[in-house]
Amino acid sequence: MNKTILAAIAFVLLMAGATYLAVGGAGGMGGEGDWVNKLAVLGAVVLFIVTTFVVTKYVRQMQNDRAGGKLADENWDGIGEFKNELPFGWAVIFLGLTIWAIWYFLAGYPVNAYSQIGEYNEEVAAHDAKFEAQYANMDDATLKEMGGSVFIVQCAPCHGLQADGMDGKAANLNHRLEEKSIKHVIQNGSNNQILGMEMPMPDRNGLMNANTGALITDAEIDAVTKYVAGGLKGTEGADVFAGVCAACHGPDGKGMDMVAPSIAEFNPTLIANVLKHGKKGAIGQMPAFNNLTEVQVKALGAYVTSLSK
Amino acid sequence: MFHWLEKHPFFFAVAVFVTIAFAGLIEILPNFAEASRPVIGTKPYSTLELAGRHVYIKNSCNACHSQLVRPFKSETDRYGHYSLSGEYAYDRPFLWGSKRTGPDLMRVGNYRTTDWHENHMKDPSGVVPGSIMPAYTWMFKNTADIDTAYAEQITVNKVFNTPYNQELPMADGTKATVKMAATLDEAHADALAEAKVIAADMKDQDVKDAVEAGQIPEIVALIAYLNSLK
Repeated sequence: MNKTILAAIAFVLLMAGATYLAVGGAGGMGGEGDWVNKLAVLGAVVLFIVTTFVVTKYVRQMQNDRAGGKLADENWDGIGEFKNELPFGWAVIFLGLTIWAIWYFLAGYPVNAYSQIGEYNEEVAAHDAKFEAQYANMDDATLKEMGGSVFIVQCAPCHGLQADGMDGKAANLNHRLEEKSIKHVIQNGSNNQILGMEMPMPDRNGLMNANTGALITDAEIDAVTKYVAGGLKGTEGADVFAGVCAACHGPDGKGMDMVAPSIAEFNPTLIANVLKHGKKGAIGQMPAFNNLTEVQVKALGAYVTSLSK
Repeated sequence: MFHWLEKHPFFFAVAVFVTIAFAGLIEILPNFAEASRPVIGTKPYSTLELAGRHVYIKNSCNACHSQLVRPFKSETDRYGHYSLSGEYAYDRPFLWGSKRTGPDLMRVGNYRTTDWHENHMKDPSGVVPGSIMPAYTWMFKNTADIDTAYAEQITVNKVFNTPYNQELPMADGTKATVKMAATLDEAHADALAEAKVIAADMKDQDVKDAVEAGQIPEIVALIAYLNSLK
């Protein structure tokens, strides 16, 4: 018998014995009927036998085999290559990969490809769905709370955290109108699409006082400015208001649909229109905020309206 | 041919390079060209806006402010639509920035106005409580460099074919034309006309007086630039 095979058999017996001892001899083999140990030993023995005979086969092949067959034309510094047939398994893998590649180029990649924007769209859709479900039926308190949080992010940089306009840098939203703004509008007119459409208010050269039948005077402007800024209370300026402003803004100053906005109080529609179109007045320009969702606009309307109440 | 290549390592290496380079060309170049084309609605900068951009760069605004809105819900909610590469077509160089100590400014023109910028550059914490941004008061005194801005206009127009004095399609279907002056004097006059519109919305009397006298303070140019970021 070949020396290699004898060595192999001896190696198998040695390793099997070592495994037997390692699990604790006959005691370990299952005085208590431990079948896991038995399985382990059996597995080990099978592994040794298979490994040993496979290795032995190739070792013998290396010892005995002689090169044969037809040489390819090329050789590199005397090292040549046989023209062997392509192994069958390789051919199968090659064909399989070709079919997979056709699928991957035509369907696999185009349909399932990752895209950052695709992930973004999914993220937005999921968030919007969650948002809609969570705030489908909001009560007034939740709406106002949401408005408050939107306000901090979007509005506070100009109007301030207290919505006071930060010393006249923006409109004070705790009052409907301040003297400076009222005077500016009467002097210069206004066309801010606060009603959601073009509806310009004339400047002082277009404001008739119905009581006197003449254009509004400086004294009357001062009086009515104080009256409107004071929240349309008291008597001073009330007659001017009735004669000049009430025709469009209504006797109570709450405005009229399609004619003039409320100058007595904020309301959600007015706020929504200002957010949509922006406005320009005595203080400066406010940009439009069109990136807010409908619910956010509604919430801001509720919040800002509540500030002056 | 392949047998011949196998025997000639140098030409084999050349063939490998050519093959891979060709694949790269047809994979990368078309996408790249498509993505870097200006997005509809992107305009080149006017002379005054370019001068403002130089002020922006000179004062290292980009060290704290990025100009790149990433495609995340939290960002698009705050800053607007995520940035597209074609929107930087006329930015030379782009000012993406790599760190946000302050907020992103990619679309600041959509939600801030001239008077706000004026208040803010004078006293940032007076407008944004707790802001750590310093005041940039010297911008109200220094004069903007219109000559360099005009030179840049001519350069990008000649070298990169930046479309000045051409009708460009806008997002709302209208056309817009950005003017490049024919002479330096005309460029100064154009920039001054643009500066007057901005100064009219400002309160600082020194700035108003300077613009009235034909000078353009840096702050006016900077605000023109910031308002153009949309």
